[in-house]
Amino acid sequence: MTIGSFILKNALRNKRRATLSVLSVAVSLFLLVTLLVALRELTIPPEDAGAALRVVVRSRISLANPLPARQRPIIERIPGVEAVSPFTWFGGNFKNEEGMTFAQFAMDPKLLRPIFGEAKMPEDQYEAFEKDQRSCILGKLTAEKYKLKVGDRITLASTIYPATLEFRIAGIYSGTIDDRNLLFHHKYFDEATGDLGQVGTWWVKVRSAEDMPRVTTAINAAFANSSSEVRAETERAFQLSFISMLGNVKLLVASISTVVVFTLILVTASTMSMAIRERFRELAVLKALGFRRRELFAFILAESFGLAVTGAVLGAGGAYFLYNYGNISKMTNGIFITFEVTPKIVGIAILVATGLGIVASIAPSISVARTSVVDGLKTLD
Amino acid sequence: MGYLIQILAMTLAGLTALVLLFTLYMALTSPIPFLYNIRSVFVRWRATLATIAGIALVVGVYVSVQAMAVGLEKSSQNTGDPRNVMIVRKGSTAESSSQVTREQFKFINYLPQIARDDKGQPLISADVVVLLSLPRKENGGEANVLLRGVSPIGMNLRPQVALVEGRWFTPGRREVVVSRRLAARFANFAVGDKFKTGGKELTVSGVMDGANTAFDSEIWMDADESRALFDRENYSSVLLRVDDPAAGKVLIDRIESDKRLPLRALPEVDYYNSQTKTAGPIKFIGYFLAMAMSVGAIFAAMNTMYASVGARTREIGTLRVLGYRRLPILASFLIEGAFLSFAGGVLGCLLSFVMHGYSIGTMSLQSYSETVFQFRITPGLVAQGLIFSVIVGIWGSLLPAIRAARLPVIVALKSL
Repeated sequence: MTIGSFILKNALRNKRRATLSVLSVAVSLFLLVTLLVALRELTIPPEDAGAALRVVVRSRISLANPLPARQRPIIERIPGVEAVSPFTWFGGNFKNEEGMTFAQFAMDPKLLRPIFGEAKMPEDQYEAFEKDQRSCILGKLTAEKYKLKVGDRITLASTIYPATLEFRIAGIYSGTIDDRNLLFHHKYFDEATGDLGQVGTWWVKVRSAEDMPRVTTAINAAFANSSSEVRAETERAFQLSFISMLGNVKLLVASISTVVVFTLILVTASTMSMAIRERFRELAVLKALGFRRRELFAFILAESFGLAVTGAVLGAGGAYFLYNYGNISKMTNGIFITFEVTPKIVGIAILVATGLGIVASIAPSISVARTSVVDGLKTLD
Repeated sequence: MGYLIQILAMTLAGLTALVLLFTLYMALTSPIPFLYNIRSVFVRWRATLATIAGIALVVGVYVSVQAMAVGLEKSSQNTGDPRNVMIVRKGSTAESSSQVTREQFKFINYLPQIARDDKGQPLISADVVVLLSLPRKENGGEANVLLRGVSPIGMNLRPQVALVEGRWFTPGRREVVVSRRLAARFANFAVGDKFKTGGKELTVSGVMDGANTAFDSEIWMDADESRALFDRENYSSVLLRVDDPAAGKVLIDRIESDKRLPLRALPEVDYYNSQTKTAGPIKFIGYFLAMAMSVGAIFAAMNTMYASVGARTREIGTLRVLGYRRLPILASFLIEGAFLSFAGGVLGCLLSFVMHGYSIGTMSLQSYSETVFQFRITPGLVAQGLIFSVIVGIWGSLLPAIRAARLPVIVALKSL
């Protein structure tokens, strides 16, 4: 019998315990990976393909404060700016559902392709959208969720403006990072709300990456000390600004993850101790046969390590396949979009499992080292 | 998905209750002394302690997360005066997205049901709500803060708010009073500090305390000054007091039935009761964590109980010889598992009390502004945590207990 098969036989001689230990490690690591992925998704939102060249302009007071429509020509004249579209959050409720499940924005349909080029639609749908002022286009995910198709009508009641709008769906787009939004004509919005002359934000397409810093500075400067100061920032910075709004959520998820890891160590360490105490006598026999302490430690470490790593492969691997190959956006109703298990997260899981294997073997090793051969042989349990 | 988990949890709890009932029945009719179980639990104290600690952490996490949801709901539910009626635009979900025009306000002003103070002034106030994006302390990025432009009457209508430092704002000046809870979280919120928003500078003249209500998440300034400053033609909401509930009902019916008024009137208390949507996702996270972690905990409890049964094979044989039947032995081990786990539950609840009263903040899903609230551990939550721990214990010990009950007497006695 080789050393390897000796360790394997030992690990599996109480199959039930081995299974239970492996499973509890697997469940915990699955949970850990889930938490880490969720944390990553919350703190580093996925990036849109066209985002690199887009600038978002909002009121300096806050996103909720409107901007005057007269700002548009001023931004358009700034060198390096290719296109400027209003982008106004409508905040509509669909079918009186509790809570909004998809966002709706009023914008300039002519600028859909120049600014949001990654949203793909058949040519005729583009044309239909531009032509019909009361039409809208809808992200593929939302269309699938509510079984809506081109030509259908949908009605949305705004929670912000005293307006209820009816749209004909002119097209269904896909290809953005989050195909859920509804886009419609800003003119229709203006008509329905009585020409307030207000927009929510401006979305600006910049000619090249080199122009970005200059353009954002120029936009900010253009309205400094005016009655409507603005904050222009890259789309990425705009997205990231939502994270600090989440407040303590990040800390919370991080502390829960820590507790999970700690629980895991506790439980696995206790299982390992149980397994070793059970064969104290055998270990004493091995000692009597002339095996050295460090060889016994190696046996214990190998077994504990094996259990932890098997659990990790099951748990983290399961999470990896579920999240990277399953349709997470559908499963969570669109709360999470990509939910990607990154190599870094896999690395953390492996690290935790390795640490677990080592830590769990410490206590049994100490008690084996302490016990003399005679005492060990006397053990009955 | 939340419902699914709830239904699942209910089913589990129901099944557990059945098993528990059976166990209690058995324990009462043919008792193996309970003391025997308690002593057995502590014979293998190392494994037992690890299991108890594991379950304690699971219960602690569950209770803490739910305590957040409860705290959030409580801060909303604490808010408002039963004599007040709140008026917002029909269709808006929160004050921050509501608008009431000046004509509408004038009309409401003349409604006869509104209570009057000793000087004969109607107790009605139109507020302006503006969201300000302001920097957090220690470079924590920016978050929206709800600024309320409030009139002197509006302040009287909200007696829960008290000044704790500095002085109230002077009408006509660009001064604000910030809540104590927000002052702990945002930069430049100490008395005398100045901060800028959209090119306008505001001075903090005082700090107020909202007594754990939604007002803890607001900063206040003079209503007229805020309308001028933020260029608001309309108001956001109207708050008024009525003499008695009957008058309130008449007033609400009057406003709701008027087709020309696209307004919604409701008791202030009801309005704040509806502002608890943000608690939903937190509860969901709590359930999810509880489910996932309890699976791990059940495996751990199973391991401990199997080991316990294995080590006591001879004892079990002896009990059988002494005349105890299979079912009482099954019940005995179930009780032992439940006790073990219950101890963990108690410990977990104690652990979670560390969080009690701790203040945290996140973005409200209704007003889109920073909401500050405290962890609130209630007797109900403690009970949930304990029940949860017993469920884990029962399911973790069911299979080991069945094994113990089915051991053949002779084999059990012969085992070493």
